Amino acid sequence: MSIQQLLNGVSLGSVYALIAVGFALVFNILKFSNFAHGGVMTLTAYIGLAAALFFSTWLSGLTLFAATLFSAALAGALVGIVLERMAFRRIRNNNSPVIYYFISSITMGILMENIVTIFASSTFYSYPRFFELTVVNIAHVNIALTDLLMLVFSSVALMILLWVLYRTRIGLAIRALSFDVNTANLMGMDSNRVVMATFIAAGILGGIAGVFLGINYTLYPQMGQLIVKGFIASVIGGLGSITGAMIGAVLLGVLEVTLIGAVGAGLAPVFVFIVMLVFLLVRPRGISGVIVQEKA
Amino acid sequence: MEYIFAVLTFTGITVIGVLGSYLVTGLTGLFSFGQAAFFSVGAYTSAMLVKNLDVPFLLAVPAAMAVGLLAGFLVGYPTVRLRRDYISLVTFGFGEAIIALLNNSANLTGGAMGLSGIPQYTNFAIVWGSVAICLALAVGYKHSKYGRQCLALRADELAAKAMGINVNRIKLVTFLFAAAMTSYAGVLYAFYTTYVEPGAFGWIVSAEWIIIVFVGGINSLTGSVFATLLLTGLPEMLRFASEWRIAVYCVIVLLIINYRPIGIFGEFELTLKWLRQLGKKGVKAS
Amino acid sequence: MAAAVGEKGGQGIMSRLEAKHLSKAFGGVQAIDDFSFSVGERQIVGIIGPNGAGKTTAFNLLTGVYPLDQGQVFLDDEKISGLPQYQITQKGLARTFQNIRLFKGLNVIENVMTAADPYSSYNLADVFLYSGRKRRRENEVREMSRSFLALVGLAGYEEEKPENLPYGLQRKLELARALASNPKVLLLDEPAAGLNPSEVQDFIRLIRTVHEKFALSVLVIEHRMEVIMTLCANIYVLNFGKLLASGTPSEIQNNSEVTTAYIGEEDEACLL
Repeated sequence: MSIQQLLNGVSLGSVYALIAVGFALVFNILKFSNFAHGGVMTLTAYIGLAAALFFSTWLSGLTLFAATLFSAALAGALVGIVLERMAFRRIRNNNSPVIYYFISSITMGILMENIVTIFASSTFYSYPRFFELTVVNIAHVNIALTDLLMLVFSSVALMILLWVLYRTRIGLAIRALSFDVNTANLMGMDSNRVVMATFIAAGILGGIAGVFLGINYTLYPQMGQLIVKGFIASVIGGLGSITGAMIGAVLLGVLEVTLIGAVGAGLAPVFVFIVMLVFLLVRPRGISGVIVQEKA
Repeated sequence: MEYIFAVLTFTGITVIGVLGSYLVTGLTGLFSFGQAAFFSVGAYTSAMLVKNLDVPFLLAVPAAMAVGLLAGFLVGYPTVRLRRDYISLVTFGFGEAIIALLNNSANLTGGAMGLSGIPQYTNFAIVWGSVAICLALAVGYKHSKYGRQCLALRADELAAKAMGINVNRIKLVTFLFAAAMTSYAGVLYAFYTTYVEPGAFGWIVSAEWIIIVFVGGINSLTGSVFATLLLTGLPEMLRFASEWRIAVYCVIVLLIINYRPIGIFGEFELTLKWLRQLGKKGVKAS
Repeated sequence: MAAAVGEKGGQGIMSRLEAKHLSKAFGGVQAIDDFSFSVGERQIVGIIGPNGAGKTTAFNLLTGVYPLDQGQVFLDDEKISGLPQYQITQKGLARTFQNIRLFKGLNVIENVMTAADPYSSYNLADVFLYSGRKRRRENEVREMSRSFLALVGLAGYEEEKPENLPYGLQRKLELARALASNPKVLLLDEPAAGLNPSEVQDFIRLIRTVHEKFALSVLVIEHRMEVIMTLCANIYVLNFGKLLASGTPSEIQNNSEVTTAYIGEEDEACLL
C-alpha cells in the first residue's frame, strides 16, 4: 500500500472519526445508537452550503471556509438541542427500554432526510470552490487541499473535544453520566443539562462532518446514511470508548481505501462486511472497549 | 379501483415481510437490519431461475426459499452468538453486501439496471392467501414452546439460559423461519411487479419494518398487520400528499413512541375467543 | 428449635451436588478462594456469610454464568463444570435469583411453562401443521404448570402479569418456575429476602413441602437465620470468598469466628 493510499485513508478516516465520535458520545450516555446523527449531518451540510453561498459575497478562501464551518457547527448544535428535546427527552423521562431511543432516532433521521428532500428537492448541489489551489505536494506526495484541511480541522475539533471531556467540569459530568445516569442524578448532577450538552457537542461535530462530507461528495439527501460508517468505526474501536471510535474510524478509512483499490468500489462493501464479521467474532469488545460481565 | 387493488397487494407483500420482523425483532428481540435483504434474495433467485434457466415457477418458489434459508444460516449462525448491539451491525452489513453483490453481477442480475420482464404469476388473491397462511404459521409459532422461549430470552437472556433454554438455537430457528418467509414474500413481489432492482430493499426498509412492528404493538401480530396497513397502505392511497407522506409517517411513529410506547395494540391479539365475547356483549346489550 | 429437615449432620448416602476447590477472581479481587462443598441426597444445605462474601458468585459458578478459574462441579457424579448454562440446567440444576428475574411479556403460567419447554419434543412441523402432538403436549405442560402454581399458592393467578404480583408472590413464582424444569438439585438465592416474618414462615413451610414432595436436594443462600437454622442439615459459612466454617446449625451458632465475621469483635466496653 502506497503512502498516497495511506494518506487518503487517514484523511477519509478523519472525517469518519468526526462521525464516529459524534455517534459514540451519545452512545456512551444513553446507551443507544443514535441514527438521527446522520440526519443532523445532512441538514447541517445543506445549511453549510447556504452559509457558504451567503458569505461568499464578502469572504473567500480560508475565511470563507472557516465561516462555513462555524455556521454548520452552530446549526448542528441547534439541531442537537431540538433533537434532544423533541425526540429523546420524553423517552428518557418515561424510563422506556433502550429500543425506543433507537426507533425514535431512526424515525428522526428519516424525517430529517425527508425534510431536506422536500425543500432541496433531489437536484444535486455542491459546495463552491473555496481555494484556488486544489492540490498540495508534501514530500513527493499529492494531497488534495480539502483533504488536508479536513484532516487538520478534524484533528483540532477532536482534540478540543478530548480537552473538554477530560479537563472541564462539564466533561467530567458527561463521563460520570456515561457510567450510571441514576447515580449521577443522586450526586446532584442535572442530567438534563448534561445530556443536552452531549447532544450539542455531538451536533457540533456532526455539523463539521456534514460540511466535509458535502465537500467530498456532492450534497444529496441520503448522505446521512454515512452514519453507518460511524457505527462501524465505533464498533471496531469498541462501543463505549471515544478514543476507540477515533482509532476505529481511521482504520476503517484506511481499510476502505485499500479495498477500493483492490476490488473496486462496487465490491468493497462486501469485503468490509466480511472483515468486520471476522473482527467481531475474534474480538467482540473492539480495540479499546470494555466488556461488562452480566451479574446474576 | 384498480389502483387500490395494487396498493393492497403491495401492502400484503409487505405484511409478510413485517411478520418476519415481528418474529425476529418483536418476539426474539434481535434487531435485524437485514430482513429486507431476504426479500431481494427470494426475488432475484426466483426471477433468475425462471427467466434465465426456464425453471418452472412452482419449482422456483421453493428453490428461492431454500436459498433464503441458506443465506439465513450463513448470516444467522454467527450473528446469534453476538452481543445485541452487534447484531444490527452485522445484519446491516449483510444487507449492504447483498446489494453490492447484485449490483456487481450485471451479467446474471442485470446489475444496477435491475431485472425486468419477469412474467406476472402472482396477484391479489395469491398474495392475501399467502398472508393468511403466513399469519397462521406465525400464530402457531407464537403459541408454542418456540414463541414462549423467544419471549423469555428477549425478556431476560440470562434467566432464560438458567431455565434450560438453548438460547442460540432458538434464535437461529426463528431467524431461519423469518428468512424463509421473507424470501417467499420476495418471490411474490418479483412476480407481481415484473421488475426488481438491487437497491430497493436496503437497511432502511428493514428499519421501517421494525418500526411498524413496534408501532403496531410490542407483542401483537394483530398490531403488526394493522400497522402495516396504516403506515404503508394508507399513505400510498393518499398519493396526492405523496411529498409529505414520509414526513406524516414519521410524525405518526414519533407520536406513538412518545405517548403510547406499548404500541397501538400493545399485547392484544384478535382471537376468535375475543370476537365471540364481543358478540355476546353485543347480544346482551341489545 | 425445630429439628433440621433432611439427613442430620453430614452427607447423605450419595452426594448429589459436589463442588471441589472452586476459585474465581475478577480482576484483582479473589471472589471465591478454594471453596469446596457438597449437597447430599434429600439434603437441605445452607450457605451464609456477610454481604460480599461471594455467595451468589458461588451460585453463578455452579450454574455456569461465570467460567471457573479453578475447580470442578459434579452432579450425580457427572462433571458439569464447563458446560454451557442451559445444559447444566437440563442436567438437573435449577435456580432462583436474588434479584427476581421473571419474564416480562409472558404471563404467570407462561413463565412456568417456559421452564418445561426445553423438554418438549414436538418440532416445527408439528407447530406449522397444528398437529395433535403439539396440542397434547401444550395441554400437558399447561396442566403441569398449573399444578406447580397451585402448589406454591398461586392458583388463580395464571393469567396475571408477573410484574403486577406482590413481591412475596413473585418469589413463589420463581420457585414454581424453577421446579418446572424438573431439577434434581434446587439452588435458592435469598428466597426470603424482602419478606415479612409471617411470609418467611410461609416460605419455610413451602420449601419443606417442595423438598419432601420432589425428593430434592436444596442449596440455600440466606441472610435470615430462622430460614437457615430451621431448614438446613448442614451450613457452610463464607467470608471474603473463603470457607470460614461448616457444620450443623448448632455448631455454627456456637462458632465464635462466625459471630466475629458477621458482627465484629466484641468491644471491651460491652463487657460488664
